[in-house]
Amino acid sequence: MRDEPSILHIDMDAFYAAVEILEDPSLAGKPVIVGGTGSRGVVAACSYEARIFGVHSAMPSVRARRLCPNAVFLPGRFDRYGEYSRRLHEILLSVTPLVEGIALDEAFLDVGGARRLLGRAEDIATDVRGRVFDELGLTASVGAATSKLIAKLASEAAKPKVSKRRVEPGAGVCVVAPGDELAFLHPHPVQALWGVGPATLRRLQRFGVRTVGDLAALPEATVVHALGEAQGRHLYALAWGRDDRPVEPDRAAKSIGHEETYAHDHYELDVLRREAMRMAESVGVRLRELGIAGRTVTVKVRFADFQNITRARTLSEPVDTGGEIAAVACDLLDQVDLSPGVRLLGVTASNLGPKAARQLTLDEAGPDWDEATRAVDDLRSRFGPDVVGPASLVTDRGLRMKRLGDQQWGPG
Amino acid sequence: MKFRAERDALLEAITTAGRAAATRGTALPALTGVRLEVVGDELHLAGTDLDVTIQVQMPIASGDAGVCVIPARLATDIVRGLDPGSVSFEVDDNEARIAAGPTHYAVRVLPPEEFLRLPQPTGDAVTLAATDFADALRQVVPAASRDEARPILTGVLMAAEAGGLRLVATDSYRLAVRDLPGTSVLQEGQTVLVPSRALSELNRVLAGADQVTLRLASDEASFEVGTTRLTTRLIEGDFPNYRQLIPQSYPNRLIVGREPFLNAVRRVKLLAKDATPVRLTLRSEGLELVAVTQDVGQAREELEAKYEGGEMVVAFNPEFLIDGVEAIAGDEVQLETLDALKPATVRSTENPNYLYLLMPVRVS
Repeated sequence: MRDEPSILHIDMDAFYAAVEILEDPSLAGKPVIVGGTGSRGVVAACSYEARIFGVHSAMPSVRARRLCPNAVFLPGRFDRYGEYSRRLHEILLSVTPLVEGIALDEAFLDVGGARRLLGRAEDIATDVRGRVFDELGLTASVGAATSKLIAKLASEAAKPKVSKRRVEPGAGVCVVAPGDELAFLHPHPVQALWGVGPATLRRLQRFGVRTVGDLAALPEATVVHALGEAQGRHLYALAWGRDDRPVEPDRAAKSIGHEETYAHDHYELDVLRREAMRMAESVGVRLRELGIAGRTVTVKVRFADFQNITRARTLSEPVDTGGEIAAVACDLLDQVDLSPGVRLLGVTASNLGPKAARQLTLDEAGPDWDEATRAVDDLRSRFGPDVVGPASLVTDRGLRMKRLGDQQWGPG
Repeated sequence: MKFRAERDALLEAITTAGRAAATRGTALPALTGVRLEVVGDELHLAGTDLDVTIQVQMPIASGDAGVCVIPARLATDIVRGLDPGSVSFEVDDNEARIAAGPTHYAVRVLPPEEFLRLPQPTGDAVTLAATDFADALRQVVPAASRDEARPILTGVLMAAEAGGLRLVATDSYRLAVRDLPGTSVLQEGQTVLVPSRALSELNRVLAGADQVTLRLASDEASFEVGTTRLTTRLIEGDFPNYRQLIPQSYPNRLIVGREPFLNAVRRVKLLAKDATPVRLTLRSEGLELVAVTQDVGQAREELEAKYEGGEMVVAFNPEFLIDGVEAIAGDEVQLETLDALKPATVRSTENPNYLYLLMPVRVS
C-alpha cells in the first residue's frame, strides 16, 4: 500500500453531452441526451439537466424520451469526442507517462514519480483539472488515493450531484488521505466494488450485506462460502481497501473493429457483404493510423433472435487494408446461414502486431496498391472519410463510409 | 493369396506404392492401405488417395493368385524391420501373415472391395529423358503452393511452348518457369495443371531412371518409370496469366557467384527469424546482406558482385531466395530488379531455360 494518494482517476463530466454543448452553446442549461434515437437505441450520455428527470446512460432511448420529452436528442459524433479525448490524453501524458486510458473520457494516472516535480498529489489533481478546463473548455472530476479502487470512488464523489430540481456543483477534486480509505470506502453501497453485479448482489443481500462495510464485517470464510474461492477472496480484499493493481500505461489495443445494429433485420447476402466491406474499410484506416496490422479477421453476426455467432480466420500474413480485410470478412460471411435475419454485423481485426515486414504477393505486382492506399488515407485525412471509397459502397445517397462510433448506441 | 519375395525388392515396392496411400482417416479405410495382388509370377502393388495413384510391379519367387489390402504405414514399417532375405506373405481369413526367419506378424487386412478401380492409362504415350524431366521438376515444384485454399496454385502448369514443354508453378510469392525445348508432349496451345504433390512423388520415382513415359488424358495424367506407374487427377481451372508478371526489362542487374551467394544467404538467414527478411544492398562495389531480428541479433556479409544500376535496398524471404538460387544451373546468378516493391528475377547468366520471379518483402 502506498503511503501517498499518488493514484489519480480523472473522469470527464457528462463527456459526450458536454462536448455537444461546448460546440453549440445554445444547448447550455438544456437537458441533452446523446445516444441511439431509433426504437432500439440506448442513451450513451446525458447532461446533468437531463439526469434531474431520472435519465441515465444505458437506459433505452424510448424510456428516456418518455421521462424527458423536452430533451435535445443527438445521435452523437464519435469523431469529435475522439478528438477531445486525444487532447485530454495529451494533457495527461504531459503530467506523467504513466497514464492508463480506461475509456475516451476516463483514465488513471500514477503521479508517484511526478510528485517531486509537481508537488503534492492534491495539487497535481487540482492543476490537471484546471488545465483540462482551460485547454478543452470541459470539466472533469478527479479522485486521488492510494489505490485505483479508492481513486475511482473518489472521482465519483467529486462529481456534480443531481437533486430533485437542480444540479449541485461537485468538489471537482476529492483526495482520500492515507489512513482514511476505510472510513471513505465502507459507507458505499456494495455495488460500488468492481465485480459486484446483480447476481453477486442478490447472494450478498442474503447475508444482510448492503454496504462495503457490511461485507468487510463478515468473516472471510463466509464470503468465500457465498461467492466461491476466487471471487470471495477478491471482493473481501477490496472491501478492506486492499487493491494493489498498478497503473498500466499504454494498454495496447487487442483488436480493432466495427459493429452496427440495424434498424431493420437484413437477410440479403449482397447487402451484408457491402456492409462488411464498409466496416472493413474503416478498420483498415484505423489500423494504418496506428501503424499496425491484424492477422485474424472476425465476423460477428447477431441474428434477429439475439443469438450471436462469430466466424474468424487467421491469415499467414497480417493485413491492414480494407480490401484485404473485406475479402476475408465476405468469405466468412458467405459461410453463414443468414436466413434468420441479421440484426447486428461486426468486423474485427485482432492478433495485432507491428506492421514491419510483409511478404508481397505477385497479385500486387501490377498496380501498386500500397501507393493507392496511402493516397486514399491522405485524401480522407484532408477531405473527410466519404471523399473516396470502394465503388461497391456508393449508394443513391452517395458514398457512405463507416466512421468510428457510427450508431454506437443503436440504429438512428 | 500367398507369395515369397526378397525383402529389399518388397520394401522398395511397398514404400513407393504406400506413399500414395491416404494418410488420414477417410470415409474409405481401405485407402489408408496398399493393395497387393498376385498375378502369375508378379506382385502388383497399388496405393491411392483418390487424387494420386502409384502402381508398382515386381517379380516374386512363387505365389498363389489373390488380392488383399494391408495398412500401408504398418506394412512398410514391418518389412523395413525384417532381416534381409526371403519374406513369406500369406493371407488367411482376415489376417496377413508376414514372416522372415524367426519373425512372424499377423496383421488384420482392410476390405479390398473398398479399393477403387485402378486407373488404366489412356492417351498417347510420349517418352522423355528422365534426368531432364527430374531436373525441371526440382526447379519448379518447390514454387507451387501448399495452400489448399487456392487449389489452382497447388498445381504445376504444363504447357506447349514454342515446340517445347514449359513447366510453371507459383504460390503467389514466387513463380518458377522452366522450358524443356524440343520436348513435345502437348499440342501447341494445350495446357494441363498437374498437382504438385503428384510431381514431388514422381521425382522420387525418377531417381536413377533413364526414361519416363507420359500419357495425358482429359482428366488425368500418368507417368511410367520402369515398372512403376504414377497416375494423377488433373486440376481443373485456369492458371493465372503469369506472362504479364514478368517484366520485359530491368534497370538494375546484379551478377554474383552462385555458391558464394547461396552460402552467404544461408549464413545471414540464421539471424532472420520470425519471418524477418534478409536485406540486400546492391551497389557498384558489390552486394551486402543484412538480417536483423529484434531481441536476437544481427548478421551481415559482404560479397563481390558485378552491379549495373542505381544503389538500392531490397528485402527477400531468405527461404524463397535460396529456393530460386539453388535451382539455377551454372556458376553465376543474375538478379534483376525494378525497385524494392516489384518482382525481381533470378536466372542463370548462361542458361535461358529457367526463370524464377520473386516478390520482395516490404520493410517499413
